[in-house]
Amino acid sequence: MPVKVVEDWLNACSGCEISILNIGDPLLDLLPNLEFVHMTALVDHKFYGQLGEKPVTEMEIPEATVGIVSGGVRNEEQKHELEQIRKHVKVLIALGSCATYGGIPAHANMWKNDEVFEKINRHCSSTTPAPDQQDLNVPPWIPTCTAVDEVVNVDIRIPGCPPHPDWIVEALTAVLNGQTSWSLPERSVCDTCPVIREQKSGGGAVKRCFENLEFNPEEGLDKMRCINEQGVLCLGPVTLAGCAGKSGVPRCIQARTPCRGCFGPIRKGARPMVDMMGSLTSVGLDPKTVVDRRAIMNRYIGGHGFLTPLPARPAR
Amino acid sequence: MSESTVCQAGVEQDAMVQNPDPLVLAFCCNWCAYTAADLAGTSRLQYPPFVRIVRFMCTGMIHPNLIIDALTKGADGVIVCGCHPGDCHYIEGNVRMKSRAEAIELMLEDFGLEPERFRLEWVGASEGVKFAHVMRDMTRQIQDLPPSPYRTD
Repeated sequence: MPVKVVEDWLNACSGCEISILNIGDPLLDLLPNLEFVHMTALVDHKFYGQLGEKPVTEMEIPEATVGIVSGGVRNEEQKHELEQIRKHVKVLIALGSCATYGGIPAHANMWKNDEVFEKINRHCSSTTPAPDQQDLNVPPWIPTCTAVDEVVNVDIRIPGCPPHPDWIVEALTAVLNGQTSWSLPERSVCDTCPVIREQKSGGGAVKRCFENLEFNPEEGLDKMRCINEQGVLCLGPVTLAGCAGKSGVPRCIQARTPCRGCFGPIRKGARPMVDMMGSLTSVGLDPKTVVDRRAIMNRYIGGHGFLTPLPARPAR
Repeated sequence: MSESTVCQAGVEQDAMVQNPDPLVLAFCCNWCAYTAADLAGTSRLQYPPFVRIVRFMCTGMIHPNLIIDALTKGADGVIVCGCHPGDCHYIEGNVRMKSRAEAIELMLEDFGLEPERFRLEWVGASEGVKFAHVMRDMTRQIQDLPPSPYRTD
């Protein structure tokens, strides 16, 4: 008997669903064991409550064993949908960095909701007047843009932007085998990176990620100098490994560009920004020269209170 | 400020400061600052009771996380005291702390904290008088700020 799966996207871009489709051959082995009963991004499944029609007051999510959710939670509609999914599934999987940490959209947490709304929907030069925030047809925002586990209990987290298909397969296989937990090994991107490290840099300013690195394209990565030690900001030291799947070199490093931190912190409770600033000073770079450090170093992890509007300082 | 007013800071002066009862952590290195604190004690030098000393083997082992953690879990101020440059027992631990201190000062802003809440001072093993003076000065500086926004009590 195949296991029933409910999949839904909340505050998401559908990249995580593409990643599911991108599993390739192993998907053929998995599919006979899975029955997707609801998957709004890929399958045309109408469900009552979607448009708030009467007399239905709740979204009707089918009963299932496994729930997969991509995207964080931004508004009341998504929150309600997520709560309904949690009610109807046994194991909930948060898929992708938005669901796990808040993701890129959670950058909005650096400002108050009103400020964001005013800026985006009123005062951008390219903005045409949008529906009012109070409009009944527009779901109101919840106070912050959150990760899934800030709203409901989550059993399995698969981070990544997008998550690597290998991990989706591994997590799904674990669930099919009756497990209710799975997690990536706690290793940093640097642990899986082959570049040459000398623990010190030439010093000076920290260059931004789009500046050119020094390397010989004819030679392999193991002949290239560490990106941080070349003076370019690379979030490898504070980022969970796994973007290249079970084997291989971290993907951004493969493309000879610095790690952007999409797999989030290595351990729960770590503070990547603090660790990264410490790491930059220990290779001898000037921490003052990091541009927009708060946003850059919390790029994918704005949920869980990592990004908040700064408290107003009393005038002194 | 005269010695006597600071020593009585906990009693009569309460109304004068914004935070009469601050929590100040002093991270001291074993070889210089902690010995200086010892000397200050045996010399009967007075400094305010709000300072809690934590001993480290070297300031070079104080990760920025420890300081940010202390400040975001309710400490009103953190002062790190180590050996004078060149005097480090482990050759260059204090130099590492110095470069980290810059990063920490920057990050205080990101956590919505005033720059005065963190300070790095060099206190040699024989400088008991300086240790007491630095602690009085730091405490006063923290008392003049409002209580930490992260404080829960």
